[in-house]
Amino acid sequence: MRVSGKIGVLALGVLVLCAGCGSTRAPSPAIASRTASPPAMSLAESTATSQATWAVLSMGAQSGPNEFWQLFLLTAGSRQWKLDTPPDIATNGAPALAGLAGPGLIAGVRPSLYLSYSPVSRTSDGGKTWTAGPPAPGLASVPDALAATPGGSQMLALSKTGRVASSAVTSSEWRGLVTERSLAASAAGRACGLTALTAVAYAPAGTPLVAGDCGKAGAAGIFARSGSSWRSAGPVLPAAWSGQEVRVLRLVASSSGSVALLQTGTGSAARLVVGWRADSGQWTLSPAVGLAGSAVRSTAFGDAGAAAVLLANGRGAMIAGPSGAWRQLPAVPAASSATLALPASGQADALTAAAGTLTVWQLNRAGAAWTRVQSVKVPIQYGSSG
Amino acid sequence: MPGMNSGLNINDPTVVAAFKTALLHQGLAAALLFIVLSLAWVSVREFRGARPGDPAQDTRQPEAPARRVLRVGFGLLWILDGILQAQPGMAVGLPSEVIKPTAQSSPSWVQHLVNWAGTSWSYHPIQAAAAAVWIQIGIGIWLLLASRGRLSQYAALVSVGWGLVVWAFGESFGGIFAPGLSWLTGAPGAAVCYAVAGVLLALPAGIWRSSRTGALMTRCFGVFLVGMAVLQAWPGRAFWQGEVHGQPGSLTSMVQSMSVLSQPSALADLTSAFGSFVRSDGFAVNLIAVLVLAVTGAAFAYRNPRVVRIGLIVLTVFGLANWVLVQDMGFFGGLGTDPNSMIPMLLLATASYLALTPLPAADAQDASESAAKPAQEAQTAEIPALPEAVAPRSNWRERLKPANLSGTVATASLASVASAGAIGVILLGAVPMAAAQASDAAAPILAQSVDGSSALMNSPAPGFTLTDQDGRTVSLASLHGKAILLTFLDPVCVTDCPLIAQEFRQAGLLLAGHASQVELVAVNINPLYSDVSYLRAFDQQERLTSLPNWLYLTGAPAQLRPIWKKYGIASETLPAGSMLGHSDAAFVIGTNGRLRQELDFDPGPGTAATVSSFATELANAAEQALKQP
Repeated sequence: MRVSGKIGVLALGVLVLCAGCGSTRAPSPAIASRTASPPAMSLAESTATSQATWAVLSMGAQSGPNEFWQLFLLTAGSRQWKLDTPPDIATNGAPALAGLAGPGLIAGVRPSLYLSYSPVSRTSDGGKTWTAGPPAPGLASVPDALAATPGGSQMLALSKTGRVASSAVTSSEWRGLVTERSLAASAAGRACGLTALTAVAYAPAGTPLVAGDCGKAGAAGIFARSGSSWRSAGPVLPAAWSGQEVRVLRLVASSSGSVALLQTGTGSAARLVVGWRADSGQWTLSPAVGLAGSAVRSTAFGDAGAAAVLLANGRGAMIAGPSGAWRQLPAVPAASSATLALPASGQADALTAAAGTLTVWQLNRAGAAWTRVQSVKVPIQYGSSG
Repeated sequence: MPGMNSGLNINDPTVVAAFKTALLHQGLAAALLFIVLSLAWVSVREFRGARPGDPAQDTRQPEAPARRVLRVGFGLLWILDGILQAQPGMAVGLPSEVIKPTAQSSPSWVQHLVNWAGTSWSYHPIQAAAAAVWIQIGIGIWLLLASRGRLSQYAALVSVGWGLVVWAFGESFGGIFAPGLSWLTGAPGAAVCYAVAGVLLALPAGIWRSSRTGALMTRCFGVFLVGMAVLQAWPGRAFWQGEVHGQPGSLTSMVQSMSVLSQPSALADLTSAFGSFVRSDGFAVNLIAVLVLAVTGAAFAYRNPRVVRIGLIVLTVFGLANWVLVQDMGFFGGLGTDPNSMIPMLLLATASYLALTPLPAADAQDASESAAKPAQEAQTAEIPALPEAVAPRSNWRERLKPANLSGTVATASLASVASAGAIGVILLGAVPMAAAQASDAAAPILAQSVDGSSALMNSPAPGFTLTDQDGRTVSLASLHGKAILLTFLDPVCVTDCPLIAQEFRQAGLLLAGHASQVELVAVNINPLYSDVSYLRAFDQQERLTSLPNWLYLTGAPAQLRPIWKKYGIASETLPAGSMLGHSDAAFVIGTNGRLRQELDFDPGPGTAATVSSFATELANAAEQALKQP
């Protein structure tokens, strides 16, 4: 009895000890990171051809099943933007845009909710009619996850798994071209220390281009397909940037070649540079513009190589083309989603969205303020995606 | 812990009604069981009478008071807990509203274990909730009626087993592996007290007649209380502050959360006021708690009956105050499963005190009569135990032989008969639950609660000729002779259609044995995304490609629209980035090509439990169609 008594006491002691062991200090509040990482660039964007300007913005809720991305169209000669979201597909995921010649567009809807692949829609008449293209692998959450040749016969897709694939628009299959891992292992990838793929595009001659972030300072990760391999096609950057890592934020096709938006440095040292690539492979670089400690919120490209960026602090800048200079833009009114747009008319628009309303702003003549010129009520079907 | 949530409201009328019906039916069955047993017992005794050679009547000595307190006290608690388990919200609410929050602060292995149990409950809410009711009521009745002997010990062992089940899965081990453990809020768990009491009750009767038993119990209880005092006093565990960084401290939070439960307003006011007091005077409250626990713990560990008695009185007053003010009696709010830890804790304390007290003189005399017992036994028990029965007893196997059965029944005590009834009550709850758990798929009640019962039909199924995902032509006529589960799916849908596809996939797995007799068929409902490449992308996304009897059919919009119309399926293009608006339905087509049922098939919350439940409903419907063309 005495032995069992001791065992009992011991057992109870162990229980109490266990209880004590299991009781730890209440967790203290997390220490805020000293260097907050820059917010990810929004998927809001605009792209323009000579006949049409397209823009996508997030509307409704800011996330979840009641966030509905909307596509807007401004046709040449018109000053009125109109809602042109493709039908019969839920756009809870942001559409990736690939502008076509004329008023054509291919839109691939990024995965959302239970949808894991990307339905593709195509219009060649400014959104009057839409047809389905081949379903793409789930597109990556970068603005240039989808690209098309000007005529729209071929498409390139960058998937969220880091795979680049191509398809004919009339085909139902996608053919893998390269993966992030295999490109990083190639000679060109190793030279740049490729860490992530960020964009796909077609050069005017139909050559597939792939862009990414480089881990090696001073190298710009733009690659062109050459036969069955890939070669470095990025611009040679000035020596002043040799110590800084370079990110390719955007890579798009324009009527005269390809346009890349590059970011060098981080934090207060971050700068943007636009590079224009002629079909010969020759690059022209813009002057650098500082981000003043802010981050890129959204981007826009015009037909003839014009580019614009909207920063997280509301300020913006645009550049007309290879021979232009950066022009500072006044702060865009606050909104839950916003992008700039560069129609062929040369006039810069700012599009802001809050809940179910799109507001269109134009720069006044002096270029010192935005003037509201249009408001579009979007009939969002809240709750329709669950 | 995703598995625990069936997605339904805890007061879902369909589930609540089914739960009440199950309880009513099982209650009637329990009453019938007791009536039959009683009639059989009375009849056999009346007509057979006593015969030579029958087992002797029970002549065992009375039960020790300490044991009686534990047995009756925990018997009543089990019955109360069983009644509390019968609250309407238990069937749906227990896993998501009680078990899950309890486990959230525990380590991942505890959460994993608890999630498994919660998921099992969520998949079969009626059977699980009813099982908890009847098992606990059965254990309670058994403990109350079987006061001595083997039956009483068996009841105690069952109490230990179920107590540990509740402690592990229902209380996440009383939170002993989580931070913030406190005796005031219920640590180390009410159910572990039931298990400890069960262990004590299962001890041989002779042990209860030894004063050393009481000494050991009081010492253990004293050490436990001192340990709880140390934990309560431990710096850095936030019990000393009623408010931490402007937020309520842990004890304040507990009191405040209890005060907002549905309960009598006077009690709510009292706990609310005490919550405010704790917030402003947390240090004083904790100081009193630490002192009471330490002093009463020391008193119990000291083992002197007079000191222990004083300690018991203090602990009882403090414990009852804590039960009302901090634990809010434990059983309010519609999902209270027991009166929390204070009452069982005080029962253990009282029993240990009584075990310390010398037995009455009559028992001592009985003990002296058995002084001829072997010396070794006398050394281990100050007051030797009497034999369980004076006359020699045959074993159970002998007594249950058909030739001896009538004698066994005729000489059985009322307590034995009632105990048999209690065992029947436990089985009444446990067996349906065990049978339900044999299936991995959830019970159809969840699907019915989302969409109601299916509509019966009896008309020829409208025909169609379309193209499947592999480009082959398929017509309804070509499927004649097979049972068909038919639905309409949009391949680019982001919500309902993937869920419905998963319901069909799981139904296909459940029907794997009938794969050659059942076809799972979906017709595309999106006029724009009608190419077979979209069907394949959807099939791949939903892992339907491995189902041999899965057909996803499409065609040109001009082919599809008349089919939608004939089956009453609406399809509407909605503006502004909405997916295609369409109705969710499934049809069961018999082997004779006639429509048998239409199931409204809105997948509702779309949890794993509801998806699985719809799959069960579909599989059942297909099996019925095969049995009755």
